[in-house]
Amino acid sequence: MIWSLSLLLPLPLAAQWTLFACAANSKDYVVGAKLPASGLFFDKKGEWTHAGYNHPFLAALDYDPSDPSTIYLAAGNGLIRAAKNGTDWTILTGSDVTELRDVAADRRDPATIYFAYSHGIRVTHDRGKTWQELAGKLHRKYAEAIRIDRDRPRVLLTGGEEGIFRSEDGGHTWQIAGAAGIPILRIEQSPHDACYWLATSQGAGLFASNDCGKTFENIGRIGVGRNLYSIAFDPTDVKRIAIGGWGPGVAVSEDGGKTWQERNAGLPRPEVWSVVFDPEHSGRIFASVQQEALYVSDDAGKHWKMDGLEGSVARQMKFVPK
Amino acid sequence: MRYFLLLLASCLIAQAAVPPFQARADAMIDAYAHYSGKGDYGYAEIAARLKRHEQPEWCSRRLQELLAAGPTGDMFWMFPMTAIAYLDQGQLSEPARDAMHRVWKTYMPYRGDTENHFLLYYSCLYLMSQLWPDAGPTDWYTGKSSQENMAEASAWIESWVKLTTTRGQGEYDSPHYMGVYLLPMSYLAAWAKDPAMKKRAEMMLDYLIADYAPENLDGLYVGSHARVYEDQLVEKWNGVSSDFGWLWFGLGHPLKVPANYVLYYLLASAYEPPEILRKIATDRSRPYTHYERKRTRNRWRFHDDLHGPVYKTTYVRKEYAVSSDQGGELQPIQQHSWDVTWHVADARGVQNTFFFAQPYSSMRELQTYLVFPPDGAIEGIVKSKKTYDSPDKILGGSPYEKIVQDQDALVVLYDIPPGTRFPQINGFFSKDLAEVKEDPSGWIFMRGGESTYIACRPLQPYSWKAFADGSRRLFSPWLQNGVVVQAAPTAEFRDLEAFSQAIKALELTFSLKPTPSVAFRSLRGTQIELTYGQTPRLNGKPIDYAHWPLFGGPFLQADVDSGRLTLRYGANERSLDFKSLTVQVR
Repeated sequence: MIWSLSLLLPLPLAAQWTLFACAANSKDYVVGAKLPASGLFFDKKGEWTHAGYNHPFLAALDYDPSDPSTIYLAAGNGLIRAAKNGTDWTILTGSDVTELRDVAADRRDPATIYFAYSHGIRVTHDRGKTWQELAGKLHRKYAEAIRIDRDRPRVLLTGGEEGIFRSEDGGHTWQIAGAAGIPILRIEQSPHDACYWLATSQGAGLFASNDCGKTFENIGRIGVGRNLYSIAFDPTDVKRIAIGGWGPGVAVSEDGGKTWQERNAGLPRPEVWSVVFDPEHSGRIFASVQQEALYVSDDAGKHWKMDGLEGSVARQMKFVPK
Repeated sequence: MRYFLLLLASCLIAQAAVPPFQARADAMIDAYAHYSGKGDYGYAEIAARLKRHEQPEWCSRRLQELLAAGPTGDMFWMFPMTAIAYLDQGQLSEPARDAMHRVWKTYMPYRGDTENHFLLYYSCLYLMSQLWPDAGPTDWYTGKSSQENMAEASAWIESWVKLTTTRGQGEYDSPHYMGVYLLPMSYLAAWAKDPAMKKRAEMMLDYLIADYAPENLDGLYVGSHARVYEDQLVEKWNGVSSDFGWLWFGLGHPLKVPANYVLYYLLASAYEPPEILRKIATDRSRPYTHYERKRTRNRWRFHDDLHGPVYKTTYVRKEYAVSSDQGGELQPIQQHSWDVTWHVADARGVQNTFFFAQPYSSMRELQTYLVFPPDGAIEGIVKSKKTYDSPDKILGGSPYEKIVQDQDALVVLYDIPPGTRFPQINGFFSKDLAEVKEDPSGWIFMRGGESTYIACRPLQPYSWKAFADGSRRLFSPWLQNGVVVQAAPTAEFRDLEAFSQAIKALELTFSLKPTPSVAFRSLRGTQIELTYGQTPRLNGKPIDYAHWPLFGGPFLQADVDSGRLTLRYGANERSLDFKSLTVQVR
């Protein structure tokens, strides 16, 4: 029922969310070495709690819209279903995919899950029993980001080595949508306006679409020459958007992306991997700072304080409905 | 007659000095089973003692202690556990066995991001699933049943064997990682119940050993290598290959403490290569050129093909070896593209090698082969590969290096774009080179050991920088650059002066702008022509890379995509057909 409601409203009515983070304590880790607690964490009444296995390589997470206690993880070992609030793991993929980069579960069809990985894009329509490759017609297969248009069935956006691509047929064919030749690091759809999308890039800044992801244009100079890793729309404020990156740190727009202010006062360094707004507290935002910790701000980034997961790199954070 | 008797006696003495295979194997196992130093070797000591059927109570107790402390090591943890499980054979206590079983549910090893990681991971997962065939999804960290684990693992192992025997190995000819490929094959050869899997692994042991045999000099793995560590690069004896060269063929000297790769190899199949491989590995009575085609590691970005070809040439004679690939960025971080390696009676502590490198360090290289984000990646690599981002490094391939080799002559050209992070070349001049003479002609002449003269002609001015160990770095900071190298046996010349006169008499013309280009008539009479960015020519004919064999030369022959490797020595022949999983011996 929760997932069907979420189709009608951008935000669930029930004001109960859990913040999950894909985080690694990898400062002194190389493959084969002892790994401090890493993998999936969730915020349990203000305490960060490790869920499931220790894993050095979680790039992204999403949840099953029909059962949000089931988390999907884009992991080094494959696409992982972490049921029971992230504690009960099953690897849903085999030896043919590795080093997953992003995951998106279809809010309309809980059996459909997409992931982006080192050599393409895959989809399942049966909750991971079988998978199809979707990047066959892309010139370069590497895919860093994948998102499903929540309003338009079978419309997908992906970003990889050569820009932003859009599909209207569930990933069987792709058309370039913008940032041609530019590596894309993250794509997100606004929760307020389904036709407004943002994409971050390696070196070329921020790209926006106002036509449902059909075309993207570079906006402003924020992050140009640096790398932007994360986009967060504030679910409680239609005009507020944040991005996270190396160089700008956390940059916030209060006018829907027209202008940006870097808000790093209290952060140990402007090297930010991920940002996310709290849907229950307007203006509360979390940021992961390179090998420092998660930080939280209650005034949309004007002031920050440490929140936990010290020493970590959190590649993605997401609020998941309880 | 007197000469013949002396020769016979010396052969007998030499043979007597090298213990037989089984004695060499036993000594390596005992180094772990009977370790008497401080502490213990952990899992390796447990496995070695189980092999020896010694101290089972200690093995059980220590195993439980180690498991209680929490497993670490990702897929590298899996291979000792698998060995212990198969060597148990009723020796371990029930609590120890239960603890071992439970941990495959409570610990999820990271599968890693290289072929050696995957091969370890899947070989061990296959064998452990075979051991517990009725285990269900709740018994495994994968959340899959034993049957599902085995199906997944066997599919990957079979695909790797097929790819390797048709297109070459990805992490090819590594003096270190060769052990990580031999180990899983030894396990599967010993413990796989499926006859096809067992046979495939047995044949791959022959294949991997054959890959090493013609490219060793006194047991040392001569370049080029997909992956090598710096201590093995300058002191070749330091590689795991020294353990295997000693074990298989009695060549050289094993490492002070044998690497655990050779231990686990011995704890499983302990495969002793057939006589034909021993002959190929040890007969250096006549010079030969050996060819191999390999492939790059997975290239996730910036290339249309997942794997690119690697073309290797290796010239070997008893005095020295010269080996190279075609140059370019073929592997990330640890590539070594060419070297000259000379014979020494005892290579321990000796830097008996000569080479150059362009110290390339770039995010693009890392992002080609790894899924790193653009920030923090180089710092992350430097944690374990200390010199990756150092201007004085001598390890690593470069996209700005092109190489051609004919027998014991090499021409290497560099065309480095402006703005490149370290716009220079570094030449490694070992502390063990003798008679190094900088000639006014521009040539540098030197002697390696007692057997080898080397001539080196840098094409641009240079200066010298000292390494702490007494070796030197030739530093040449020019964007268009190159080096011509010619090796020769000392026995062919009266002295270094005669060698240098012979080299200076050779035709050498070159230009560096706008594009580096060299024409060199080698000591063997071959006209070698290389213009940067163009196909090299030997005696006027362009090198035919399209028909480069998977293996070629007097000892090993295989065509690309054939899945069939033939070993030849004299009238003896051994053919490995991986499509039919058959071995024919003639």
